[in-house]
Amino acid sequence: MKKTIFAFSTSILVMGGFSFLLADEPAVPFGLPALEHPEDNPPTPEKIELGKLLYFDPRLSRNNDISCATCHDPNKGWSNGEPNAAGFEGKRGDRNSPTVINSAYYTTQFWDGRAATLEHQALGPIANPIEMNMSLDEAIGRIQKSKGYQERFQQVFGSEPSPELVAKAIAAFERTVLSGNAPYDKYVAGDETAMSESAVRGWKLFKGAANCSACHSGANFTDNAFHNIGVGVKDGKNTDVGRFAVSNLEGDTGAFKTPTLREIARTGPYMHNGSMETLEEVVQHYNKGGNANPYLDEEIFELGLSEQDIADLVTFMKEGLSSEDYPLVEAPTDLPD
Amino acid sequence: MLKKAKRLAVLTGCLSLSLVCFAYGEEPEHETLVIDLDNPCGVLVHPETGKVYTASKLGVHCYTPADHKAVFEVSEFPEDIYGKGPKYDIGPLGLGLLNNEHLVVGDGSRPDGEELVRVYKLDGKKKSEGDAVYTLGPITAGEKSAKGEGNFYGVAVNESAIFVTCNGDDTKGWVSKADIVDGKPQELVPFIATKEATGTDAPVAITFTPDGSELVIGQMGEMNVANDSLLTFYDPGTGELKRSLKTELSDIAGLAYSPQTGKLYAVDFSWVDSTKGGLFELAVDGETVNATKIMSLDKPTSLAFDKEGQLYLTQFGSEVPEGAESAGSLIRVEPGL
Repeated sequence: MKKTIFAFSTSILVMGGFSFLLADEPAVPFGLPALEHPEDNPPTPEKIELGKLLYFDPRLSRNNDISCATCHDPNKGWSNGEPNAAGFEGKRGDRNSPTVINSAYYTTQFWDGRAATLEHQALGPIANPIEMNMSLDEAIGRIQKSKGYQERFQQVFGSEPSPELVAKAIAAFERTVLSGNAPYDKYVAGDETAMSESAVRGWKLFKGAANCSACHSGANFTDNAFHNIGVGVKDGKNTDVGRFAVSNLEGDTGAFKTPTLREIARTGPYMHNGSMETLEEVVQHYNKGGNANPYLDEEIFELGLSEQDIADLVTFMKEGLSSEDYPLVEAPTDLPD
Repeated sequence: MLKKAKRLAVLTGCLSLSLVCFAYGEEPEHETLVIDLDNPCGVLVHPETGKVYTASKLGVHCYTPADHKAVFEVSEFPEDIYGKGPKYDIGPLGLGLLNNEHLVVGDGSRPDGEELVRVYKLDGKKKSEGDAVYTLGPITAGEKSAKGEGNFYGVAVNESAIFVTCNGDDTKGWVSKADIVDGKPQELVPFIATKEATGTDAPVAITFTPDGSELVIGQMGEMNVANDSLLTFYDPGTGELKRSLKTELSDIAGLAYSPQTGKLYAVDFSWVDSTKGGLFELAVDGETVNATKIMSLDKPTSLAFDKEGQLYLTQFGSEVPEGAESAGSLIRVEPGL
């Protein structure tokens, strides 16, 4: 898909960690790269607002009780605080709700990367029988009955609501859920006081002996790739085939997308199956070299970290990657009639 | 292994163009010179003798165009496995020339942290792996690499140093360097942390710009992610990154400039979808790289021009020819690129 690169980076002057918005474009927090928007879905304030309404609207679910925000709650790190979120009539899947934060930068969506874009991703949960359990025709039918939505779709798209346009609006909103300008960003920009000594030690371990940056790399702390890290392994076998279901490459068995670590302190529990409650558990898992299985990534091996090392790594992730500009979005008080 | 070595096959009929010279549509005229190569990864043309050296799992072979024969130059390497599925047995990988009299061989036949770069005298005698006149490395686990480096895929040599791409440790993505003093290579040391510079894994392909002023490195990216390869340019003296450009290619494995036209060419292995692999011309226009497919290839791994502009390519292949045991081959493309 061709993409338009909005030159946010040229519209913002960065001085000492502060960003000044010069153009009428959504701001990208300090430390994050320019955002790429699909050529056929440029952002506008009205579209983003429409996407926000849809994101929080439970009418897109069969029982009118589940919205996108139910499982991707801004107050819970844009995840939902549970290992596996409860969907239609309390049904639960096998995978943790991935945070929406900085999903704008992912090159694929879902834990197994089966959606290429946020637009492709947005409709999946609506139709999923254990999530919102609504056919797209039914969901659009409800939206079309709303005079308020009709007016907004006409204003934004000049068209009736459709699945494609619902997806575009939700995706445009999700691309505004960004976290940067964290102590880490200020530290790497030269402010040596931005992180505590423990966090600095943790950062050095992160990109060194702890090998974290082998996968959690770049500004969004992800390589956008798929790795088998030895989670969800029973009797030496992977309980979830992960990326293999999409790629059909044997080596992708049990491999899942590397998630961002931005705002990681808020997005637990962790791992694709939500099996780890704390970051300490996560680091201990890596320190022991994961759980053996035939497809374990070669980057997963015993690390020999001390308790102090583990504490420093956790401090780095909690302190260094939590932004004072956390993207907290309040739910709309009035959804369209 | 000896039995296998004897089976190294030369396609004896290739002198008859009607039998083995192919031209598919707009593709350039090319012919298969050597078959039964077992996962060949490196190719080098000696500028004076015109001999073509290839590195495969079993060792380094020398193909002489004049008499159309291929023989072992160096053999008896150990073997390692690359990938988790598909898996490939690999041995020596990259090839370079030191002083036109010595062959530099980057190795992939051992575990990371144990691998070596060997330098052999080109004396016309068949050699074993241990007959090197210089042995460089290993780069063991330590502060610069949590598990040690390996998979020395690409080799480039100028009057000052031997540069070797390392596709083993994904934390730093080192390009290593051995300075040359009085004609002798010195210690192999990590030089450019390409992953820290570019945010992308796996420096693999390497060459110099035609004027020698810049080191050109193909950053392969993640194997299981498509379209993530970068074309990067560094100062060979300081290691400073000059440019990092997206290519939309998936797994750049080789880079070479045509001596006739000055154009830059790459081979893309395309791990996720090998049907998309091939030879590409890379036209750099400012910050944009336009990749144009020149010909399809089956898992291509390396390329090198001779001084007349003939292009030599290696590929893993998929179909084992009748009478052979391996699908790999050496291909020659007529001048004109």
